[in-house]
Amino acid sequence: MTKIELTVNGTKQSREVEDRALLVDVLRDQLQLTGTHIGCDTSQCGCCTVHVNGRAIKSCTMLAVQAGGADIVTIEGLAKGDKLHPVQQAFTDCHALQCGFCTPGMIMAITALLKDNPQPTDEEIYHGLEGNLCRCTGYINIVKAVKRSAELMK
Amino acid sequence: MFEFNYVKAKSLTEAQTFVAAHPEAKLLSGGMTLIPTLKQRLAQPSHLVDIGGLPELRGIEVKGTQLVIGAATPHYEVASSPVVKKALPALAALANQIGDPQVRNRGTLGGSVANNDPAADYPAAVLALDATVVTNKREIAAGDFFQGMFATALEDGEIVVGVRFNIPKRAAYEKFPHPASGYAMAGVFVAEGAAGLRVAVTGAASGVFRWVEAEQALTKKLSADALEGLPLDEANMNEDIHATREYRANLARVMAKRALKKMLAQK
Amino acid sequence: MSHSHTAQRREDLRLITGRGRYTADVNLPGQLHAAFLRADRAHAQIVSIDTAPALARPGVVAVLTGADALAAQYTQFPNLMAFTGRNGAQILKPERPVLATTAVRYVGETVAMVVAESALAAQDALDAIVIDYRDLGAVATVEDALAAGAPQLHANIPGNLCFEWETGDAAAVKQAFAKAAHVTRLKVITTRVAPSPMEPRGNLVSYDAASESYDIYTPSQGMVMLRKQISTLSGVPEAKLRVHTRDVGGSFGQRSGVYPEHGALMMAAKRLGRPVKWVGSRAEGFMSDAHGRGLGIAGELALDRDGKFLAARYEFLCDMGAYLTPTGSISHLRNPATLMTGVYKTPALYGSFKVVLTNTVPIAAYRGAGRPDIAYAVERLVDRAADELKIERSEIRRRNFIPPDAFPYKTPTVGVYEPSDFAGCLDQALKTADWQGFEARRAEAKQRGKLRGMGLSTIIEATGAGVFPKDQVAIEVDGDGKLTVYTVSLSSGQGHETTFTSVVADTLGLPHEAVTLRECDPAHDLVGNHTGGSRSMAGVGSVCKVAADKLIEQAKPLAAEELELEPSQVDYAGGAFKSRDSEKSISFVQLAKKLAGRQPHPMNTLAEATVGSTWPNGCHIAEVEIDPDTGVTEIASYVAVDDCGVVINHSIVEGQVHGGVTQGAGQMFQEEVVYDRGSGQLLTGSFMDYCMPRAGLVRDIDVGDHPLPSKLNAIGAKGVGESGCTASLPALANAMTDALRPAGVGHLDMPYTPSKVWHSIQAAKSKSRTQNG
Repeated sequence: MTKIELTVNGTKQSREVEDRALLVDVLRDQLQLTGTHIGCDTSQCGCCTVHVNGRAIKSCTMLAVQAGGADIVTIEGLAKGDKLHPVQQAFTDCHALQCGFCTPGMIMAITALLKDNPQPTDEEIYHGLEGNLCRCTGYINIVKAVKRSAELMK
Repeated sequence: MFEFNYVKAKSLTEAQTFVAAHPEAKLLSGGMTLIPTLKQRLAQPSHLVDIGGLPELRGIEVKGTQLVIGAATPHYEVASSPVVKKALPALAALANQIGDPQVRNRGTLGGSVANNDPAADYPAAVLALDATVVTNKREIAAGDFFQGMFATALEDGEIVVGVRFNIPKRAAYEKFPHPASGYAMAGVFVAEGAAGLRVAVTGAASGVFRWVEAEQALTKKLSADALEGLPLDEANMNEDIHATREYRANLARVMAKRALKKMLAQK
Repeated sequence: MSHSHTAQRREDLRLITGRGRYTADVNLPGQLHAAFLRADRAHAQIVSIDTAPALARPGVVAVLTGADALAAQYTQFPNLMAFTGRNGAQILKPERPVLATTAVRYVGETVAMVVAESALAAQDALDAIVIDYRDLGAVATVEDALAAGAPQLHANIPGNLCFEWETGDAAAVKQAFAKAAHVTRLKVITTRVAPSPMEPRGNLVSYDAASESYDIYTPSQGMVMLRKQISTLSGVPEAKLRVHTRDVGGSFGQRSGVYPEHGALMMAAKRLGRPVKWVGSRAEGFMSDAHGRGLGIAGELALDRDGKFLAARYEFLCDMGAYLTPTGSISHLRNPATLMTGVYKTPALYGSFKVVLTNTVPIAAYRGAGRPDIAYAVERLVDRAADELKIERSEIRRRNFIPPDAFPYKTPTVGVYEPSDFAGCLDQALKTADWQGFEARRAEAKQRGKLRGMGLSTIIEATGAGVFPKDQVAIEVDGDGKLTVYTVSLSSGQGHETTFTSVVADTLGLPHEAVTLRECDPAHDLVGNHTGGSRSMAGVGSVCKVAADKLIEQAKPLAAEELELEPSQVDYAGGAFKSRDSEKSISFVQLAKKLAGRQPHPMNTLAEATVGSTWPNGCHIAEVEIDPDTGVTEIASYVAVDDCGVVINHSIVEGQVHGGVTQGAGQMFQEEVVYDRGSGQLLTGSFMDYCMPRAGLVRDIDVGDHPLPSKLNAIGAKGVGESGCTASLPALANAMTDALRPAGVGHLDMPYTPSKVWHSIQAAKSKSRTQNG
């Protein structure tokens, strides 16, 4: 067991974790942040995507102990009170979600993508979403939401 | 996964000493291969020694005719580095195609090279550029480093510290990604360097290899049609439910042609 | 009925902020965790099993095996097969203990369950179970399962053939074929696929000894159907079962049935007196969540010299996997039988079906549930006939469409089609897709060294007829004039919280925000169908209108009393009860407030209706471009024109088409569940080998509608949930066939993977070299 301290959505958290505990399990089970989801076990679906020190990473492929000292943002930390993040707003404006299971990870991946590349082309969007699977939407409206987000964030 | 103890190395020396003293320990860099392996209970290390945060394993810089990259440098840093884009743009382009964005934020050069997955991208560049793998004990030439599927010249406890890439006159990488995993079904790195023309193929066979016949043919005539009808040992190619060995051989040829065309389009 | 064009859905806010509640998010105090030991081989006898070493592991509280399943009598799974087969036979059903007893019959079958204080402790202990198997031969394909001398999976199912059925008129068909000017033949397969909704399966079960009742937290497609199935499996009366679901991460048919894990967890919860939670992994899912499709269809079409259809005959081989799921067999028989004539007038039809068991994961309904399969067979046959007779592909269809004056159209097999305009959908699609201009695009692509093709499909579906005799909707009104609508359907992405509430709100002339939907609330036990077979909007959705209308009628006397009028003098419009003759009026909200003192609220309403199948139909056109060097196909354009009846919410309809077409494209180009034929080992056990569609596979779809209001329900809807799959399988296949024809490639079965496409082009090249050489 190891004691880790991390900042999650702006709040300092301190927990005892098993060394083998995944970051996603600590977020969900110990911090009750169940917005981050687990959709696979081969690090491909992206449902577990969160931001660690400003970069999008798959929290199912990171040990909680590796995140010691890190600044973590989950889907729950994106909106500011009642004010949605532009990517969240774009998702509902564009019907870019149906069942919503992939959505938190998708939104976290997209916020990071737009930080690196504020005006991506279609090809850059497809490339940027290679780490996120969706079974419901066919991605067409998700791509629209990325472009709308880019507009909203100009 | 099975239980283990996590150790965050504070220095390379500490890491070195620890793994020497604990033969069942494994090194952890980005974890993009190791953690999925552990999740599937395919390995049972006693300890994970985290070297991902060591500053002595980071860094990207041009030193003379070489581009030197620290082993713990994540792929996204290589992909977006102005230094790499200027000196060796083909390497930045390669790094930008590894895995997916989230994987690129964690996966590292040293991890990729030490693991030597037969479908990984970096080994093609390392081999084609006659790079030198620098470890905490010695320097290993690319030609000696890769020894087959998941096998390298690294000894137990030996730690990759960085890779020195010879900056070529020009180079290009073309990859046909596996539709499910994103690994290379065939990835070809073509380079015109000080030692001559190099064509390295990853993903198609049991390990990265130099397509020697192509190198010889292109040295005689530097054009895509020089690759027509060249022997490429199909028997050595991988075959699985996604692709036959004939198809992989075809992909290797097609990717080689495309990489060559891309390279020739540069000054 | 006004149409909603806003994309924003009521359910979006919680889902985009991470406040959805999926089954794995639910925890109960004192809960234990379960992990399953699953068969690692396809067919074997269990010689012995020793769980003591696992029980001794830290944190382990219990280990259950097949002996427990037998003792609890959890061995019979429900099956919805509702008709008799050849010679009046009933379907032969295998026994299926929730934990294997004497044998395992597919890789992934549940063998034992460890229950421990933590999920990790339960996982760790699985390795300690000692199990001794005696391997038996495995049959992973229907051909192998039916072969003489094949290993038999179940003692009561000789030759692994559990059901044979036929429909139509064999003699009439035989006569028609004898006289036909031309006969076209084609054998097709629909590959076995994994529905793969993004939320993995998992359950949490808690038992209350005092009331002898269970609380079951589970993803599902509808409370009542699942509860009934759990009751059949467990013998526990429905009144003692409460099924809880809030958010579901996609279902596509896979969640429509009870699973062994439901039963195993119930046994454990009862024995241990603590809730037991299981969260499945994706790897477990590939080897135990129901698979889909898996039909072999041999079709023959008889035509006269003008290309008019005289008769059609189909032989269906249906792979069901190792056990029968509740929905698999009926979907793969009834739907193809109902839709065998497609959108065409085919005077004589005959279909024969064999339902076969193999050593593979059981197959259930998957988006379309037999409709995409029959549409694929019919539309490929029609295209092939067009090719053989040199009749243009849209023209051969036009000649054979059921004409507008023939509706309601009684098909030669099962079903009566409601009015449809097949030619209208076709015309609209051809125009939108620029069908006429295609050859120029093909020539241009050829100059770039690419093979371009265009293909179409004209299809019709029968939506789910309903398993329950009616759909009920309850509306409760509160003292502020806000309404809550209760149903037992269950959205897993379809947006019911938006659409059903808009139906009620629009009927009542109230703002949409005044109405909230609660689906599957255990405290509101209603009769009603699950969400499946594309029937929710036409079914329970239309009953929402019936309920709103009934609410108005029942409230009129109450409003009249307030207005001091006769009820017959009161009308309702624009959200208010108005006097016919004077200015007197009372708004809905005011009336609700006035009556708030009484419990229950006097304006509460319960309504019901029986809604059977409706008949959505349409035309899809795909344009593809193949790179012959790599065999990779790009979908250059995709046009969908669907008649889903009255469109309640255009953006949600579009989303359903997007999703369905992309699942179809996934199956056509890359998805396939693959088993090793000899051993029955599952080769596609993760997303590393099972190729899921990613962004960019289908770049855009031009979604058009051609709505003919249905007269079969109160809102005129026909349904749209599955048409994306049903129409895209044949449209894409026909486009690929068209693209590959100039390269000398004939019919190629799905999936059109790069390797397969490349090989087909090489083979055609060398064949032509041999012929010309």
